[in-house]
Amino acid sequence: MSHLLAWTPFLDPIPIWSNAVWPWLLLPLAVAVSVVYKSIKCRTMRQVPGEASVITITIVLGMVAAAVVLAVFVRAMEW
Amino acid sequence: MAYLAHQQNTRHRLPRRLGRIEYHALMSDSSSRTIPSPLVALAAWLLPGAGYWLLGQRSRALTVGITIIVLFVVGLLIGGVRVIEVPGYGDHGQPLVVTQDEESSYDGRRMVLEHTTEAGSVPPGANTAGWVMQVHPLDEIRNKPWYIAQILNGPINLLASWGSVVASRDNAQGHAIGARSHARTNELGVLYTAVAGMLNLLAIIDSGWRATQHQEEGQ
Repeated sequence: MSHLLAWTPFLDPIPIWSNAVWPWLLLPLAVAVSVVYKSIKCRTMRQVPGEASVITITIVLGMVAAAVVLAVFVRAMEW
Repeated sequence: MAYLAHQQNTRHRLPRRLGRIEYHALMSDSSSRTIPSPLVALAAWLLPGAGYWLLGQRSRALTVGITIIVLFVVGLLIGGVRVIEVPGYGDHGQPLVVTQDEESSYDGRRMVLEHTTEAGSVPPGANTAGWVMQVHPLDEIRNKPWYIAQILNGPINLLASWGSVVASRDNAQGHAIGARSHARTNELGVLYTAVAGMLNLLAIIDSGWRATQHQEEGQ
């Protein structure tokens, strides 16, 4: 908390070094990529929320699956 | 039989335009503006989403523009403004200058060795060849490849570049005004700003293409 109080936005990097925090930054990136991609792709903008939600979930699940596979691979190599 | 007769009568009564198949441009919106596609692409670069706005596709313009700008700004918040590594400027916000030294090789031939140094730390009497962006622009951009994606965000990135150069300069205590991020925070900041630029490239291409379709429909 004290780190955040000392944080100067734009001048200092955000103080998030904990492994429990930084993986969550995948979510806004996945949402933004999905929204822009589907805004370009969809014929009408009414389709965008639904299709962007589907592709966001797909990206997140894909990244989680990749993380699990890599974690298993690393553990297997260590063992 | 009665059905066929009814169908023939209906066909005769139908207006002619309903019998024709009309092809709409892929992903088209209801807009009839005809604007040159280079102008639309330029507007899309100057302000993300502005290309769609010129074509009258307001909701698409706002969605794409706000998302790209927010992604870029969040990238700067995560990694600090110094995630924008500006070609031609060094770690202390000074222009990079190419200096040349002449040396003799082991076989007696004259060699010119070039070094890149910040303007504030050029040794006195050194032979300077000029600003690195004038002498070796491609090499310098190749050293900072993320900037190619980041510049696609338009003038907002130029503003951030100016901020990055200013934040890199030393204050009275001899420390940089803005801290440089490292490891994951730097990677995430660079990723956010570069992805925003790449998404804007998609929007530039798409809005330019839509402008071409509008022109073809108008002719």
